[in-house]
Amino acid sequence: MALLNQLLKNMFRFAPLIFLIILITPLVLVLLSLFGEYNDNWNHLYNYVLPNYVVNSILLILGVSVLSTILGVGTAWLMTNFDFANKSWLEWAVILPLAVPPYILAYTFTGLFDSYGSANELVKTLFTLDENYAFFPNVRNIFGAIIVFAFTLYPYIYLTTRMAFINQSRSLIEAGKLLGFNNWALFFRLAVPLVRPALIAGLALVIMETLSDFGAVEHFAVQTFTTGIFRTWFGMYDLNTAMQLSSILMIFIVFFILIERYERNRMSFTYAGSTFKKTSKKKLRGFKSLCAFVFCFSPLFIGFILPIIELTNWAIFYPSEYFFSMNILNSLFNTATMGLIAGIICTIFALFINFLNRFGGGNFLKLSSQFLSLGYALPGLVLAVGIIQFFSLIDNNFSKYFLGFSLVGSLLGLLLAYIIKAYALANNTIESGFQRISNSIDDVSLSLNGSKLKIFYKVHMPLMKTSIFTSLLLVISEVIKELPATLILRPFNFDTLAVTTYIYAAEERMYEAASPAIMIVLTGLIPIIFLSQLIRDSRPGKS
Amino acid sequence: MKNINVLSTLLALSIFTNFVFLSEVNIYTSRHYDSDVMLYESFTELTGIKVNIISSKSQALIERLRSEGSNSPADIFITVDAGNLWKAQNYGLFRRINSKKINEIVPKNLRGENNEWIALAKRSRVIFYNKDIYSKADLQGLSYKDLSSPKWKNKIAIRSSNNLYNQSLVASMIAKYGESYTENWAKGLVENFARKPQGNDRAQIIAVANNEADLAIANSYYLGLMLSGKKGEKQLNAGKKVSILFPSQNEEGAHINISGAGIIKSSKNYDNAIKFLEFMLSEQAQKHLVENTYEYPINKNVEPSALISQFGLNFKENISKVSEFGKFNSAALKLMDRVGWQ
Repeated sequence: MALLNQLLKNMFRFAPLIFLIILITPLVLVLLSLFGEYNDNWNHLYNYVLPNYVVNSILLILGVSVLSTILGVGTAWLMTNFDFANKSWLEWAVILPLAVPPYILAYTFTGLFDSYGSANELVKTLFTLDENYAFFPNVRNIFGAIIVFAFTLYPYIYLTTRMAFINQSRSLIEAGKLLGFNNWALFFRLAVPLVRPALIAGLALVIMETLSDFGAVEHFAVQTFTTGIFRTWFGMYDLNTAMQLSSILMIFIVFFILIERYERNRMSFTYAGSTFKKTSKKKLRGFKSLCAFVFCFSPLFIGFILPIIELTNWAIFYPSEYFFSMNILNSLFNTATMGLIAGIICTIFALFINFLNRFGGGNFLKLSSQFLSLGYALPGLVLAVGIIQFFSLIDNNFSKYFLGFSLVGSLLGLLLAYIIKAYALANNTIESGFQRISNSIDDVSLSLNGSKLKIFYKVHMPLMKTSIFTSLLLVISEVIKELPATLILRPFNFDTLAVTTYIYAAEERMYEAASPAIMIVLTGLIPIIFLSQLIRDSRPGKS
Repeated sequence: MKNINVLSTLLALSIFTNFVFLSEVNIYTSRHYDSDVMLYESFTELTGIKVNIISSKSQALIERLRSEGSNSPADIFITVDAGNLWKAQNYGLFRRINSKKINEIVPKNLRGENNEWIALAKRSRVIFYNKDIYSKADLQGLSYKDLSSPKWKNKIAIRSSNNLYNQSLVASMIAKYGESYTENWAKGLVENFARKPQGNDRAQIIAVANNEADLAIANSYYLGLMLSGKKGEKQLNAGKKVSILFPSQNEEGAHINISGAGIIKSSKNYDNAIKFLEFMLSEQAQKHLVENTYEYPINKNVEPSALISQFGLNFKENISKVSEFGKFNSAALKLMDRVGWQ
């Protein structure tokens, strides 16, 4: 019996490690290319296009960071500290753009704002303007891309900073007021620094998702790292150089992640001190109330309502028989199933890893967990290749003898890709959740003769319910939106909604793309609605 | 708990049924026309062979085939653009197609050098112009080479150099005129762009219909698609305003590219694959194909759709080997980078 206990104990320690190794290997295989050969395509890249990719990527990051921070922090601050017109539903509705993947917003933007798009047509008819007049500026450039990313991704920042604002003790704010801070000073010099870790956590997610996107930047003809990687791979038939480029992209990302970790460590604390008081909300009236409303409504409108309108516009133009075709229902089922499985696995895994970390799980665990978070930033296509190469290794040496079917092209590969891609979301959420549980609770429970495992089940889990649910939902919505890896790794006769949308949109068969696109947004709404319930229920003082 | 049992049984069953032996043929295709599905169903009706499809971007499929190696379940790889076929061939993915029937139907310049792959349909990369501005006589004898002349400054709409069709066009120029000449030509062409390359082929044609550009370079079949009305009223109206000029009629002929297919080396259903390819070249299949996609048929007994034939049928085709496109693709792309063709 004792032996069995020992075995189980060790399994708990080793199982996560083994999972981590499996998940990391594809990433490592990609990075290994940096140590391989550099052919003369590299010279060509260096001289002619690499500077372009770097500059554009940096511009994109800067632009998206600034805009999404303004939107995310601004809305979070307004919602937590003021009451204004329509705020009760705005408070949760403002995260709806999360249901719209960047590439879908990109498709609808061009449908609206191209010179002969629906928005321009509308303006022309309303104001009877000249045939060739285009009211809205061209969106197929880097500015369009910045807007698209900022308006679909700001909810990440809203979510993280809102939690932080809510948990701010009122006594801190009152102290600030005593020191003579006005509203603006309170915001910039007190509130923002206090939520900096949360802001940076959210910003990290935003930047990673921006850098790894392919669909939107391709559609807007913006040359970035991802389009460059694809071009090198498919245009120059040079997977090796493409993997090397991707490794550089990964290193870029590591840089941001390191900054984020540094910030978090500098401010390592658990929220909510003992003199916690609910922040009172100031009621806004008249013009100020209107301003607050407009500021909070605009991102919702641009990031969610506008694309829905355009998608519905397209759906109407197309015979309704296709709307619920077998093909699309199949895609829907596949998408939902994969999302659920990936979500459960990611969340369980993140729980284990973070729990082990909390009790000093050792550097390797910590490092590899953070390394795995890189998966989020990896362009899906490159991730897919890493996985295929990994599986081929196994197939060639093991599968023939032990498994009887090949791993490549099976659902396992796709699942692995989703897990690697979405792990960062689960990890960040669970990690924040654990951080909000004061360490003294652990100490108290341990001293009451609890084993670490008991603490996990009886103390942590109930406190983590919200985070667990959030993690599940975020992973599911990420899987729904994932595109490039799915395109490569999926088995025969297995399409997801994202794949179906892309295949139509890439041919600018926008009307046909409307149906699966709407499904993506609708299915994505379900986790978002749950998330919004959590927001509604989260009031100051509750964790 | 019962649900879990049911679910896991279903899961196990579904995994199991993948290995039950059925006469089938597994196809990786980058063509994504809904009309193709009907073709596959006709094939199954005719022969009893089940057709399994996975469709994706060509490059993605090639990469997957490479990684899968001899474990790949694929029998056939169908794609558009000879550049893709050459690339797959270069990776050693194909097996020689031995069929007298196929050799009789497909001319030699539209096959791999050792029958690694064959054409299933043809398309031409042509010049579109606005009928209100130019007449056919105005543009008589216009060649690809002429497009770099300053006369067309700010007048040409063409898509990004990322697109394989453009790379193949440039590759064919390199094959015929050499890299140095082609680089000068491309430099001139880039200076004639009406706008930064954006959108796909159809977007270029629409730009011409809307007077944003005078000439567009795009694939022939798009006009058929636009005029069919299947893509909506806006495209139909735009299509009515433009017409096609087949370039270089006094010289090498219009640039021809193909949709084609090859049999995967590790294929376990070689005979079924041959049957499938022969079917795709049969009159019945070719007719269905071109009626829906507005490409030109390979089978000489079949007429292209009327919607596309109206713009000209017996135009001079560039009969150089399409296998050259792949060979010079990498050089073409680097050249396009050097001249700033985004």
